[in-house]
Amino acid sequence: MKIRLFLDIVLKTFECFGFCLLVFFLLSDPAFPLQLHGDPEGLYVHQIAHLFFVISLAILIYWLFRMRLLFQRGWRFIGLGALLLILWNIDAFVGHWIEGTEGVQMVIDGNRWSGTIKFLSISKTIAVVYYFAKLDHLLCVPAVASIFWGLKEFYADSLKNLHLREKS
Amino acid sequence: MTFPFFPFWFIDVCGSFLMVVFGILCVIKAFSLRRLDPHNVVWAYLLWLSMALAFFALSRSIGHIVQHILTVTGYKHIWEILRPYSGSLNTVTFIVGGSVTLFFEGVWEIYHRIIKDQEALRDAHNKLIFINRHLDELVRERTREFVASERKYRRLFEEAHEAIVVAFPDGTIVDMNSAGLKLFGYDRSDIGKISLEMLFQNNDDFRHFWEKIKKDGSVTNWECILQKNQNRDKLVVLISGSKEEEYVERYVLWLRDITQRKILERQLLNADKLASIGRLAAGIAHEINNPLGIILGYTQLLLRSEPPDSERYEDLKTIEKHVRMCKNIVGDLLKFSRMTQAEKQIGDIHAVIEDVFSMLHHQFEGSRIVIERDFDSSVPEFSFDASKMKQVFINMLINARDAIGDKGGRVFVRTRWQQDQDAVWIQIGDDGCGISAEHLGKIFEPFFTTKPPGKGTGLGLAVSYGIVAEHGGDILVESTEGKGTVFTIILPLK
Repeated sequence: MKIRLFLDIVLKTFECFGFCLLVFFLLSDPAFPLQLHGDPEGLYVHQIAHLFFVISLAILIYWLFRMRLLFQRGWRFIGLGALLLILWNIDAFVGHWIEGTEGVQMVIDGNRWSGTIKFLSISKTIAVVYYFAKLDHLLCVPAVASIFWGLKEFYADSLKNLHLREKS
Repeated sequence: MTFPFFPFWFIDVCGSFLMVVFGILCVIKAFSLRRLDPHNVVWAYLLWLSMALAFFALSRSIGHIVQHILTVTGYKHIWEILRPYSGSLNTVTFIVGGSVTLFFEGVWEIYHRIIKDQEALRDAHNKLIFINRHLDELVRERTREFVASERKYRRLFEEAHEAIVVAFPDGTIVDMNSAGLKLFGYDRSDIGKISLEMLFQNNDDFRHFWEKIKKDGSVTNWECILQKNQNRDKLVVLISGSKEEEYVERYVLWLRDITQRKILERQLLNADKLASIGRLAAGIAHEINNPLGIILGYTQLLLRSEPPDSERYEDLKTIEKHVRMCKNIVGDLLKFSRMTQAEKQIGDIHAVIEDVFSMLHHQFEGSRIVIERDFDSSVPEFSFDASKMKQVFINMLINARDAIGDKGGRVFVRTRWQQDQDAVWIQIGDDGCGISAEHLGKIFEPFFTTKPPGKGTGLGLAVSYGIVAEHGGDILVESTEGKGTVFTIILPLK
């Protein structure tokens, strides 16, 4: 109920925002017909998309918990996948945030077997965090694999039920 | 700060490849699920989610792989051109994935509703199949139950001791149980031809009852007089009735015959009154009888010493006459009050009646009254108190004589052996003045008399009734004013 209330408030806010935007467009100066999208805007949109994805996945986990679906093997895999995807989103968000910091520079020296990556103009700690954040496949691959296993479980269960129904 | 490049490169390439593989596997599995049950909305949702994930995995992994290929092959500048498109596509995939994820609650709710509806439909379907397969059996079972129920209630209706009458709103009686038919003296063939109004003796009673039941829907504990079919016997009954409107509007009446109860109540009241009077009379008679005896004795002594033609002699004679009258009254009172146990002996009732005629011979002489005897020779000898029964016959015959008066008439005494009742009926009748309906209910009450003062004490019939009742019998009376009266003494043989 609280989530619903929250979503309702978000929708109402969007509606109010839309109305204000309309008023703004009607009253604004005709000298600004087109908004310019500068360099950091793409990054911001991407980061907001990550946050949106995190919220959506958190809501999914909440409903799975609330509906007691986590006691079922298939949904447990889906829930685990959602949790890993949340962690991946946070990881990616941190990585993008460090990338967006001014002066961060990455230099790849040598070939892929014995080469090194150098991070310039950032502290040692941030460099370590950034390096491991770039290894984000360690989170997103198990997430998608977990979802696959969940689907596999559903399929096996459905097949079993179908056979039982056919027998009966 | 320097880090090894190989792990970074290896994980990125392999991870991208695996992402594509698992993304596609998810879509394939979700498709398979959907094929298994195309109407399952949750599987449809999982298919959308898998497609969104696959879209995300492809967009992201292809971007990464292309980046590595272009970097390694020396076309990094081309990647710089493609990079914003790849990033934007990734952003779109997050949004699509997130949006699809948000639908979960709604989809689950719809799924549950569908499952519930499906179950309800399946139940209904199974029930229909069951009914269809077992229709004959179900109908037979219901019919059996219905017949059993109908029999049970019909039995209750028919075997009830109280009369039950069912009538339509127009008053037509549509059903009446056996007790009702017996109470009112109708046959089953009469049902449908008789109306409620016909059951009531008094039209005002019926109107009152009908208005009340129509208005209030029920009548309870209401006493009134109903009548029998032919001989219009009066019955005091207790009615409770109610209006029912289950299918057709109708009225159900429960009637209880309380005639006997009313008679018993009246007799009890009478007996109580008689007992009180008896106790009072016994006290007075005992106190007065002795002084009266002394007065009579001294009067007779004085009469002996007086010459018969003297004035004093006449006065003493008058005193003697009135004292004797007082003694008679006191004697009657004592007889009435004592209620001594009857000394029954087997004897011939006709002989007793003849004795009474002999005793009353002088009373009837010169009164122009013809006495008719009609004795049933088959009447057997039976046990009774002869002296007490003589008292009864004397009282009845003197009453008959007084009723005829000086104009002359006929007195008859008839005996009959009622074999079916195992009783002897002795009827004493006259064609005298008769008894009015007003007085008929009071004639057995003590001290009730219509004779002029000095002629009767009003105790004769009360005493007679007491004696007959002591023999286990009864006295019936039929009288028409101006035509005569018939008393029927019923004496049981056992």
